Amino acid sequence: MRRYLQTPGPVGEFSALPLLQRAETLDLVYVGYGLLILALVLASYLLGALGWLPADPRAMNVELINAAPFTAGHPLGTDFLGRDLQARLILGIQAYFLPGLLAIAIAVAGGAVLGVLAGYKGGWLAAVITYFDNLLDSFPRLVLILLVIAAFKPDIYAIMVVVGITGMPVTSNLIAGKISFLRQKNFIEAAHALGLPAHTVILKHILWLNCRALLVIQATLGMAEAILVETSLSYLGFGVQEPTPSWGNMVQAGANYFLQGNFWPSTAPALAILATILGFQLLGDGLNNVLEGKRRR
Amino acid sequence: MKLSAIMPVARVLRRELAVTALLLLGVSAVVFAVLYLAPGDPLNVLLEGQSPRSQLAVGAREALGVPQTWYGRYGTWLAKVLQGNFGNSIRTGLPVLPELARVGVNTLVLTLGSLLFTLVIAVPIAVHAAVNGDTAGNTAATVAAYIVSAVPVFWFGYIVVYVFMNKLGMFPLLSGTATKQPHAWLYFLVPIFVLGTASGTLAELIRHLREELSRVLAEDYIRTARAKGAPVWRHAFKEGFLIPVTEIMSAKIPFLLGGAVIVEQVFNWPGMGRMAWQAAQDRDFPVIMGIALVAAAFVRTGNLLQRVVFTVVNPRASKE
Amino acid sequence: MDPLLSMENLRTYFYSRAKRAFIRSVDGASLSVARGETLGVVGESGSGKSVTALSAAGLVTAGPGVISGRIELRSNGTGYNLLDGLEKYARVTEQDGRVMAVEKDERGWRTHAEKLMAGVRGKKIAMIFQNPRSALNPYSTVGKQLVETIRLHTSFRGMGEAKERAIYWLERVRIDSPRLRFDNFPFGMSGGMCQRAMLAMALSAEPSLLIADEPTTGLDATIQSRIVELLAELKAETAVATILISHDISVIQRLSDRVAVMYGGTVVETGRVEEVLAPEVKVRHPYTAALLASIPNAETIRRKSYLQAIEGDVLDTIEVPRGCRFYGRCNRVTDAVRERCAGLEPPLAEVAPGHTLRCWLYPAAAKTEATAAQGTPA
Repeated sequence: MRRYLQTPGPVGEFSALPLLQRAETLDLVYVGYGLLILALVLASYLLGALGWLPADPRAMNVELINAAPFTAGHPLGTDFLGRDLQARLILGIQAYFLPGLLAIAIAVAGGAVLGVLAGYKGGWLAAVITYFDNLLDSFPRLVLILLVIAAFKPDIYAIMVVVGITGMPVTSNLIAGKISFLRQKNFIEAAHALGLPAHTVILKHILWLNCRALLVIQATLGMAEAILVETSLSYLGFGVQEPTPSWGNMVQAGANYFLQGNFWPSTAPALAILATILGFQLLGDGLNNVLEGKRRR
Repeated sequence: MKLSAIMPVARVLRRELAVTALLLLGVSAVVFAVLYLAPGDPLNVLLEGQSPRSQLAVGAREALGVPQTWYGRYGTWLAKVLQGNFGNSIRTGLPVLPELARVGVNTLVLTLGSLLFTLVIAVPIAVHAAVNGDTAGNTAATVAAYIVSAVPVFWFGYIVVYVFMNKLGMFPLLSGTATKQPHAWLYFLVPIFVLGTASGTLAELIRHLREELSRVLAEDYIRTARAKGAPVWRHAFKEGFLIPVTEIMSAKIPFLLGGAVIVEQVFNWPGMGRMAWQAAQDRDFPVIMGIALVAAAFVRTGNLLQRVVFTVVNPRASKE
Repeated sequence: MDPLLSMENLRTYFYSRAKRAFIRSVDGASLSVARGETLGVVGESGSGKSVTALSAAGLVTAGPGVISGRIELRSNGTGYNLLDGLEKYARVTEQDGRVMAVEKDERGWRTHAEKLMAGVRGKKIAMIFQNPRSALNPYSTVGKQLVETIRLHTSFRGMGEAKERAIYWLERVRIDSPRLRFDNFPFGMSGGMCQRAMLAMALSAEPSLLIADEPTTGLDATIQSRIVELLAELKAETAVATILISHDISVIQRLSDRVAVMYGGTVVETGRVEEVLAPEVKVRHPYTAALLASIPNAETIRRKSYLQAIEGDVLDTIEVPRGCRFYGRCNRVTDAVRERCAGLEPPLAEVAPGHTLRCWLYPAAAKTEATAAQGTPA
């Protein structure tokens, strides 16, 4: 049963907030949750960077191992060495935040350049870029990263460069698609007919006016991927090493006590990963639905 | 099908095959470049069968027939790879390719199985959502799919292991060694279930299939089908189901292979992913190189199959 | 004689989420078609012609869709009530004569309507659409799509005989070398060719009623006239009853026996084509008059007079006025009727046998209103 109600009185009073009004409630919930997570991650990153932590993340307490949440002095409990989980969770954001930004910057900037070259120039250049995109898409990301790790023993920033490069095809395809859409509408020809120089058309009319929403969305989704890669690598033992906390190595370390029934030290960072990746993904998809009009029926 | 209908399809497929070959050549170049640039001279391991540290005089190298220029080395290396000589593992000393073939099958089973599992879950939700629009039920299912897709797969693996061991009393849950145990088939299915659920494919499959199917259901030709009293699914199947499903399956193979690295680690599954992890630990270049090549070949094969389906199904694909 | 299809007081609404208001696409439309007759439905775009047609075929998909009315089809002695039980699925709440809320079990209605439509849609009522190139399935050959219809709805069940029948129909819609075209995909064919194939597909089910929804829209001018000629020839050959929807008055004039003029989701005038659309007629709805004045004919060309655009915008079917729907654009309002025009919608009244219209300018309307008022105690 579906209900349709007409508001009494003259029609059309709701036009004050066109964007919010057009958006589906569910999308607004997605975006709202995503923004909340974004704010939490940002705040936690700053707390970690400034060292304003609720407790010392390295202080061990053998008396209080694998404590449950809401223990006095440890609101989120402790890990297998009795270290404060809340402080370690906050500090764990250091492991992926800046590297993740690097990956996003490379993926978005590189993808934009490739996309503009492919879509705007076209011809053989477009063919080469398509080839390059398909080539990058041929490697499972984690396998490529393991290859690079085996060859170079790189640090997390170098790994994030790989993540960024492998993230370029998505953005580049989307931008090339957008440009060909604009061409169909004779938008680009019209801009040229007005005598606008190529760089104005590309930077202002294509990238800024028509692709900024798309780029923000890709950046958001990119953060989710960077977190996924960092936590996976830390879990596999290739990322941040103990005693420095990362959500991935915290799950891994806690897992040793999992089968004895001590879920919490492993589950707390897992939930943090879940909530954060979900947040960035919902933010990206929600923004996509709201800004790009990918509306459900 | 008539011959006249097959000819253009064959022409397109020849082109797709050529593209695939060209991409695989590119893949080999990327792998070569990484090894060439890596410190510790891993190429020597491959080309000379020596340990990385052994220093040979320049003359001795030439006597062994190892060229010094990068293109010469690439050519020699590629020729060996094409002959199936991926070198010997540094750790075990065994030839890489037969080993890869042995464990690659396990990974193939794991990834394809989990893909199938994802389909079984995602397709009903997506189809229901596309046909009925937003109902409370399928909104809940879509949100649930998002949440499940964000679950870290390694932690989810432990949860499942815990439930099976402590709650259901099945022990031990190591699929690699459990083949002689009772419930062996179950141990076999659990990793597939874990990868299929938590690999992030679920939400994307639902979203893509739902978007495409609802777009197609709104097409004029579906209205025509309804107007003439024909079953809608018969007309919507190709564009609204077959094409989007094969597209997303082929696009998700790399993600699943990446996920396999982790799931195989959690469950001790004797596959390529676990081997890749070990090789990265040991800097076992021949092995990790072989895995990268085989994984990329796997991805390209999936893509090629998708192009075949698309070309056969879509009459316009072979005319443009 | 009983009409083949009769539609009474049909209301098909959609909903604008942005404005939180109903789009009253079809708002109380009534019309009927007799056996073998062609009814032309004419009106500006947005007047509800196409939605009326889609409602008759049960093809409205957006919500809430059809909310009230009656559609009855009498074919070969059996009657089909195509909206049977609708009131059980849709609850309409009105506030002083205007729908303000609709509750509809859309899934339930869809399932139920599919049952009502089984054996009717495609078999008794066939339909062709505008933009024929997108109306044919691009993933299937023309021949396969025809064969599918033939095997669904006629006694030609075998593959071979169905194929022969399909080729017969391709010939009848004057498609060149039908045996070659049989294996063509729609994307290689012109718009005119696609519309012929659509027509072949619709007629191959041997329906009682053909609904042609803007069949010439979106085609080139020369192709349009060929399709019109084909429709005229097929009408003479098959005598299938047709509802022809078009905004093009010349197409309606050429092909129809009777015509219904729609404005703002309702029928404002019906009658025989020569009574409604002929230039010398004096008794007509002001909207029909304005429509005719806006298109060139022999008279205006001979006198070199200007064509007259209809003043104002097409009625916004979200905010339907209380009185006559055309009042805001009408140039024939007199002080004598102004108050009634603004405040009360005129009923569809008979001004001559078989000729009805909705306008306070004609005494018949006032008389109909008076009898209606007597009939219902105030």
